[in-house]
Amino acid sequence: MRTAAALALATLVFAAPARADTAQIDLFSTLFYEFGGPLEMLVVNPAARVRANPIPELSLNLSYEADVVSGASVAVVDAPSADVDAITSATRLDDFRSVVSGGLAVQSPVGTLRGGYAYGWESDYTSHSFNLGARTEAFERNTTFDLSYARGFDQVCNLAQPRAQDPVERRRLDVSDGCFDGNDPDRAALDVSLQTFQGSWTQAWAPIFVTQLTVTGQLIDGFQSNPYRAVWLGRSAAQEHHPDNRFRYAASLGARLWVEPLNGSIHAHVRAYRDNWDVRSITAQLSYEQSIGGALRVRGHFRYYRQGAAAFFSDDYALRPRGQYFTGDRELSDMESFMGGLSLVWALTPGTEGADLGPLSSFRLVLKADYIHNEFPSFRYARARVPNVDAIVATLGLEMIF
Amino acid sequence: MLLALGASGCVLVRPEQREFLAEPGMTFGSEGIAGEQEEHVLSNREGSYGAGSVTGGGCGCN
Repeated sequence: MRTAAALALATLVFAAPARADTAQIDLFSTLFYEFGGPLEMLVVNPAARVRANPIPELSLNLSYEADVVSGASVAVVDAPSADVDAITSATRLDDFRSVVSGGLAVQSPVGTLRGGYAYGWESDYTSHSFNLGARTEAFERNTTFDLSYARGFDQVCNLAQPRAQDPVERRRLDVSDGCFDGNDPDRAALDVSLQTFQGSWTQAWAPIFVTQLTVTGQLIDGFQSNPYRAVWLGRSAAQEHHPDNRFRYAASLGARLWVEPLNGSIHAHVRAYRDNWDVRSITAQLSYEQSIGGALRVRGHFRYYRQGAAAFFSDDYALRPRGQYFTGDRELSDMESFMGGLSLVWALTPGTEGADLGPLSSFRLVLKADYIHNEFPSFRYARARVPNVDAIVATLGLEMIF
Repeated sequence: MLLALGASGCVLVRPEQREFLAEPGMTFGSEGIAGEQEEHVLSNREGSYGAGSVTGGGCGCN
């Protein structure tokens, strides 16, 4: 089934370039390495995308990406205690996630309509996602409006446990063996339904100044806990228990200003976020991009992120319970994050720096590296602070346009 | 902003004034897959989601 769907999409896209005016192949890979003590985490995220325009009004795309994950995680998040060492007893974690997706966009003088489908799978999670979008421009292309909607039908593997069972008696899933094979009576597939709405307004205000306002709303319904994680509740540990419904909404404003004397541009971006679990956050990002000669662009950027804890988060559910829900997720605690880095784009077109690109009409090499430092002031593994608070993110990419 | 847009006759930048808006650095979402992968990493390590850059703006050439 998966192979047949992938082959059908591949035939659709790769048959197109015979009549194509343009085609593009993008090859990217991002490495994320979080370090600090035994809870290190390594994620490699390779991606390949092909786009073809068989006629100017039609664009087809097909892509594949993966997440190769290895590291360690804490299985039972304990309350402060002198005799528990959750960190050194962390369990190893290896996973492989694949996503294949395809889509098309139809352009007309009025605007662009687009649609797509993505299928993702890993040992303990599957997802089917459909998306639709529309874009139109007005006032001699000074104004662009974009609307999109995505619908996801996901399933997560869990231990087969009666729905009526009290959450404090539920056990965590220890391994993904037997998930989705339909023959293991100890495994259950739980549904997660996602709906995402997004709208944006992009406006050119002056020959050197453009802004973008974006609003996103997302509804998630279904099992949203980490099935592998348990939380110490006083007398025993139980699988973490999150609410089944989450409504997330975010709004952002971005601005870009061209600095003509320097031949560069300043980018600013702020975002506010809130959800019905009462996680609230603010993000601020500032970048400067410098063009050097005709082919090279260098960008330096800094990002600050701060969030408040979910209403049901506690670092000690035995002493300070927060209602019927309990979590061991550090990303639902108070959090502060600092990120800074550099990116470099080397773009060549025929004739640039004497380049002979053969069949290519342009070629871009992308290098990007960031350093992240996180703070979790209210989260503890027993008495220990979170050790893995520093990370590097590095990306290498190649874009070839024919 | 809508009032300002209306008062200006809606066309704030004429096509022949778009030289700088056509620069890649002036286009939202110009980071492409690298930007998407960064958002993927961050949304998996933070409690928030959404309102990232939508491709477009800049020169309005697409």
